[in-house]
Amino acid sequence: MQVITKNWEKIDPLNINSYISQRGYEALQKVIRGWTPEQIVAEIKKSGLRGRGGAGFPTGGKWELAAKTKADQKYFICNLDESEPGVYKDRTIAEKNPHQIIEGLLIGAFAIGAKKAYIYINGHYQKQAGILEIALGQAREKEFIGRGIAGSAVDIEVEIFEGAGAYICGEETALLNTIEGKRGEPRLKPPYPPVSGLFGKPTVVDNAETLANIAYIIRRGAKIFSKIGSSISPGTKLFVLEGAVKNKGIFEAPLGISAEELIFNSLYGGGLESGKKFWFAQIGGASGRLMPKSKLDQPLIYPRTNSKSSADSRDKSKIGVGVDGNCEYPLSCGSILVVDKSVDIKEMLFSWASFFHRESCGKCVPCREGTFRLWEIAKRLKSGDLRERDRENVEDILWTLSNTSFCPLGNFAGIAWSDAIKMFEKEVFL
Amino acid sequence: MSLQKILLRFEPKPENLLRALEEIQKENKYISRENCLKVAKYFSLPLARVYSFASFFDEIKLKKSGKKIIKVCSGGPCAMKNSTEIVRQIELLLKIEAENDAYPKYKLEYISCRGLCDRGPIVMVDENVFEKVRPENIDDIILNYL
Repeated sequence: MQVITKNWEKIDPLNINSYISQRGYEALQKVIRGWTPEQIVAEIKKSGLRGRGGAGFPTGGKWELAAKTKADQKYFICNLDESEPGVYKDRTIAEKNPHQIIEGLLIGAFAIGAKKAYIYINGHYQKQAGILEIALGQAREKEFIGRGIAGSAVDIEVEIFEGAGAYICGEETALLNTIEGKRGEPRLKPPYPPVSGLFGKPTVVDNAETLANIAYIIRRGAKIFSKIGSSISPGTKLFVLEGAVKNKGIFEAPLGISAEELIFNSLYGGGLESGKKFWFAQIGGASGRLMPKSKLDQPLIYPRTNSKSSADSRDKSKIGVGVDGNCEYPLSCGSILVVDKSVDIKEMLFSWASFFHRESCGKCVPCREGTFRLWEIAKRLKSGDLRERDRENVEDILWTLSNTSFCPLGNFAGIAWSDAIKMFEKEVFL
Repeated sequence: MSLQKILLRFEPKPENLLRALEEIQKENKYISRENCLKVAKYFSLPLARVYSFASFFDEIKLKKSGKKIIKVCSGGPCAMKNSTEIVRQIELLLKIEAENDAYPKYKLEYISCRGLCDRGPIVMVDENVFEKVRPENIDDIILNYL
């Protein structure tokens, strides 16, 4: 089942006509000419589409909130910051089919009544920013962007905003701050961005992959989309397979698929590289949990949430609490790192700790100090001179990180560590 | 290009601050205090605001550095592809220590994800990006790019 990757092979990313010939921009024209914004929001809600950036917040709900909030100016932002180690799905969409993102962005902007939209792209994605810039120019020429799009009275301007490579800027309020010329530190929520976002105006921030689904939903109807994949979180997902798996790369599969199938089915990962033995898989980038072999059969879904609490502070990463018993291993952004038995767990611990230590924004003490001390301990672990008190300190640090940090970056910085210590205590402290 | 010329390309709105700083850095390799002051004036912001913003990003440099900077990705996928061994090799070759600022000519840094996990391990020398680097290629890179 392909929704996002369907026409990738047939499309020349630098030529808008090749996208149009695959029914591109049909959905945009359809809604601009004949739909009210309320109808679009209702359709997206009905589709059950959930945010693909990691939190899995219902997209339609977010749009509805922004659409209902009255303001003289609204913004719609595509989040293409993506700097989680092991994830490059959004980059690939931008490379293969940039108009797919742009069309979804325009439909979303129209639905909430935003006249200005941004594509917030990771500063390291220079090449992809260039492709998107060309795509925007071509869409402007065809009058899909700018004043009076598709022959209507609707004006939507789209601009690319290049970040400067900070992981925290994938968190939506930190992202908004950097556009406003402030440090990329997360804001206290509520108010949520759909109520008060960029420059205090209602703003929707959606992940690029989420937006890549929109045109399909409008064209084919919410009903068809909602039948794909799992009933709790319908649709397909781009999974990134990395590590010791034979076929590495991006694979589209319906939600609800198990990690086992993704790793071992020849359609996807095709098993492990020869001579390697499966140890565990990390689901969802550096902030993801470690999945042992015995849990590989669990369905990968975005669990049903109490909609209020999920917007809460969990957009960047995953939902861990108050959800279906089914979701011990949150899917997050959809990356699966397969780790085999030849890997030294201490190297992985160091990799995770140094990532979060580097990317902590420094706003709150638990995360700033916690990630720093964890990184120091990781270095000592690696070089083999662990101090006596380190072991109990690790527990304290991990507890503090996950319970007292201001935003999800800190909350999830210790997830992989906690799992590693629980599962492989001997190997870690050997 | 003079600083004023660069600044005039941008409307003095907050959403242009990052772009303006990046352009100045491209021209001068770093952003001096004097230039920060001019940026602050142009955008009608306090100097502290410009500093707090600029210092947030790893990619924006506020100090002059004559060092060659070598970066090695330590993200999960790269770590699994032997990036630690690569760091070890570089440390041996250049007789330096990673993440240590004390050496006059080189600095070896770990970096996180560049979104190139499919082409890892990633090594960078200043702005040159090397993909799929193997420990045995390190000599070549060091010889040709340092």
